[in-house]
Amino acid sequence: MAKVLVIIPAYNEAESISDVIAALQEQVPDYDIVVVDDGSADSTSTIVRSISNVDLIRLPYNMGIGSTMQTGYKYAVLNDYDVAVQCDGDGQHPVHQMKSIVDGVLEGKADMIIGSRYVADSDYTPSIFRRIGKSLLSRIVNSAVGGGVTDTTSGFRAMNRSVLASFAHSYPDDYPEAEVLVSLFKRGLKAVEVPVNMMPRQGGESSINSHRAFYYIIKVTLAIYISLFKNYSKIHEPNGPDAIPLNEKPESH
Amino acid sequence: MEETALLTIQAPHRVALMALSILLVLIVLELVRREHLKERYALLWLATSGTGLVVGVFPQILVWITTTVRFQLLTTLYAISFVYVLAIILVFSVIVSRLAERNRSLAQEVALLSNRISHLESDDDA
Repeated sequence: MAKVLVIIPAYNEAESISDVIAALQEQVPDYDIVVVDDGSADSTSTIVRSISNVDLIRLPYNMGIGSTMQTGYKYAVLNDYDVAVQCDGDGQHPVHQMKSIVDGVLEGKADMIIGSRYVADSDYTPSIFRRIGKSLLSRIVNSAVGGGVTDTTSGFRAMNRSVLASFAHSYPDDYPEAEVLVSLFKRGLKAVEVPVNMMPRQGGESSINSHRAFYYIIKVTLAIYISLFKNYSKIHEPNGPDAIPLNEKPESH
Repeated sequence: MEETALLTIQAPHRVALMALSILLVLIVLELVRREHLKERYALLWLATSGTGLVVGVFPQILVWITTTVRFQLLTTLYAISFVYVLAIILVFSVIVSRLAERNRSLAQEVALLSNRISHLESDDDA
C-alpha cells in the first residue's frame, strides 16, 4: 500500500481549513494529511490541532509559500512517503479530483502530475489581468522547457519520491510553481497536466495582488532563465547523499 | 605648469586621508573588541583603511592612475571610491542572501523538530 501525503499550506485560513480537511478525510481517507501553518496570525493552528488524524507543522514566522511547501516536502521525505500532493487550504483545489492525479503518479505516468485549469474540458475563466500575466508566464516556461505546459501556476500537483527529493533539496522562496517546472525539466523529470475544475476560494485573501504582480513576473522570468544555466546534475540522485533524511545527515565536524 | 598643479596632492589632503584611515582602523578595532563586528568582515575594512593609508603616504599612485586613464584627479578619486563601495555592497548582498537561506532552513528544521517533539510527547502520554 503506497503512502500518500496531502500537504496543505495554510496562512490565515481559519475560515476554510476545517472544510478542506473534512472534504479530504471523506474523499481520500487513506491519505495522510499534514498542514503547514506559515505563521498564521489567526486560529488556523488551533483549529487544525482540534481535528484528529491531521498532523500540524507550525513555522516560526511567515516564510512564504515556497518555504512552506518545502517544509512539507522535507516532512514527506523524512517520513518516507511515496507520493505527496499539494492541496490549498482555501478550498480552491477540487478534492474529488485528487485521487486521479495521485493515481497517475503511482502508476508512473509522470514524476509530477499537475491539475491544470486550462486544458480542454475544464471551465475556468480568470480575470483579463491574470490571463495576460499567466499567458506571459507560460510562454516563458514553454520557451525554456520546449513547450507542452499550459497552467504554470497551478499548485494542485502530485509528485513522486524523485521530485520530493529534488524539492526537499532546493525550492524557490516565492512564486515557486512556474520556476520548478524548469528545474524538473533540467533534472530529466517528467511533469504532465490533467484538466481539473478549480473552485472559488472559500475564505481568506489571494496572495497575489496587483502591486506584487510586477515583481512576480520579473522575479520568475529571471529565475527561469537562470535555472537553465544551473548545474543540476549533482543534485538529483535518488539514492545519493541528498536522499539521506535530514535528521540522519552525518556531522561534518 | 597648470597641469602639474592639478596633479599634485597637497600635504593637508594627504594628512587628512591618513588621519581618516587611522580613525577607521581604530573604529574597526573597537567594534571587533566589543564583538559588534566579526573578524572576517573587519579584514575588509582594515584593508580599506590600509589602502587609504598607502595612498596618503604615496600619493604618486593616484597621480599615476590619473595620468594613465586621463581623468581629472578628483574624478579618479570618485571613480575608484564608487567602484569600491559598489563592490562592497555587492559582497554584502551575497552575504545577506546566504544568511537568508540558512535562516530559512533553520526555521524549517525547527518547525519539523517541534512537530516530532509533539509526536514523541503524545506517544509518551499514550
